[in-house]
Amino acid sequence: MAASMRLLFRRGIRLSHRNVNVTAAGAPGQPAGCWEPPSCRCFSEAAGDRSTHFGFETVPETEKAKRVYKVFENVAQKYDTMNDAMSLGVHRLWKDTLLHVMHPQPGVRLLDVAGGTGDISLRFLEYVCFQQERRKRRAARSMQAPSWQDISNNYSTEEEEDGPQESRAVVCDINKEMLRVGKQKADGLGISAGLSWVVGDAEELPFDDDQFDIYTIAFGIRNVTHIDQALQEALRVLKPGGRFMCLEFSKVTNPVLARLYDAYSFQMIPVLGEVIAGDWKSYQYLVESIRKFPDQEDFKGMIEDAGFYSVKYYNLTGGVVALHSGFKL
Amino acid sequence: MFRSVFGRLLTETGCVLRGVQRRPTHGGVSLRGLSGLKDREQFDLSLLELLVCPLSKKPLRYAAETNELINEELGIAYPIIDGIPNMIPQDARLIQKHTDPSPTPTQV
Repeated sequence: MAASMRLLFRRGIRLSHRNVNVTAAGAPGQPAGCWEPPSCRCFSEAAGDRSTHFGFETVPETEKAKRVYKVFENVAQKYDTMNDAMSLGVHRLWKDTLLHVMHPQPGVRLLDVAGGTGDISLRFLEYVCFQQERRKRRAARSMQAPSWQDISNNYSTEEEEDGPQESRAVVCDINKEMLRVGKQKADGLGISAGLSWVVGDAEELPFDDDQFDIYTIAFGIRNVTHIDQALQEALRVLKPGGRFMCLEFSKVTNPVLARLYDAYSFQMIPVLGEVIAGDWKSYQYLVESIRKFPDQEDFKGMIEDAGFYSVKYYNLTGGVVALHSGFKL
Repeated sequence: MFRSVFGRLLTETGCVLRGVQRRPTHGGVSLRGLSGLKDREQFDLSLLELLVCPLSKKPLRYAAETNELINEELGIAYPIIDGIPNMIPQDARLIQKHTDPSPTPTQV
């Protein structure tokens, strides 16, 4: 019963959104599916008929989610190690860049979708803490000859620790294993205040409208079966003025670097996957799925179609990774 | 089981000694080791403000006995495992008594 309801809801939402998209783009009553970017979907209503890509394979849409789930279930334990090995630690710089561009102020609420092991959320909380402490230091420095009363007040306010409790990070992922690994990591680091973990589908988020200040999805959106639905959901849960940020592998701009990158991707990464995680196929899927994902401009178009404004992207490491950002107005 | 507790104790004392710029949660840490159930409740109550049913977008009720989040309207219950609520509709359990005897989705 839940399944049929889901289909009904989905259809209803999809139809209403398609109408909105069509009027926005000015297309005269054409079925919206025609001008949608490179997913190669045949325009039939039955979900089972449609096919999509799983790496270089073509699979029915219903199967993609299951296979992606299996991939991440298999790699969850070694995920962080593999990230370091494959990117030679550079993924940390990419994620740090995301945080710097985000520049969150203390007190904001973050939704980290496809957050998996919680890299972004943990960095977010750290950043916000650091900002808070920097502010306090600045305030302390600017106070000229404070009285003992002021100093004792400062000490007492520090005890309240309202900073991280105001700032909230919610990690949402469809995969329980990844969340479990992430939660263990956070518990190991002793971070629990302001951090929550939820199993949820990016295409059907279990959150109400206008809830979050920032929505991030780092290296997850290419695994979503219906990217446009995920973007719609992102728009829905963000507050007006909220920011959508997406880190994802993209097309390398320099042709020489592109050749090196391709060679590295297809020769080295599955081998590393086999050696470190014992899973060649999952990492083969990884490099193939990167090739199937739309490039920077196309993805920017998709984000704009979903309803975001002021969409821009930053190329990192010569286009290996692109950071897309948009605002809900 | 003891190993994990010891391991956690060691890493946490390590963190505190190193003076890492994390918010000191030493009070919460020792409590957590002893009372897992209380910890689960704490997680839920703050999350309950944010969580809604992904299908109907209506607020949920936390049922402490079965450790589930219940949507009365649709008659479904989302399980909570290890303190993490599972909001995938396929993993939810039907609790309506008047539906036809269709096989309930497997509860993970």
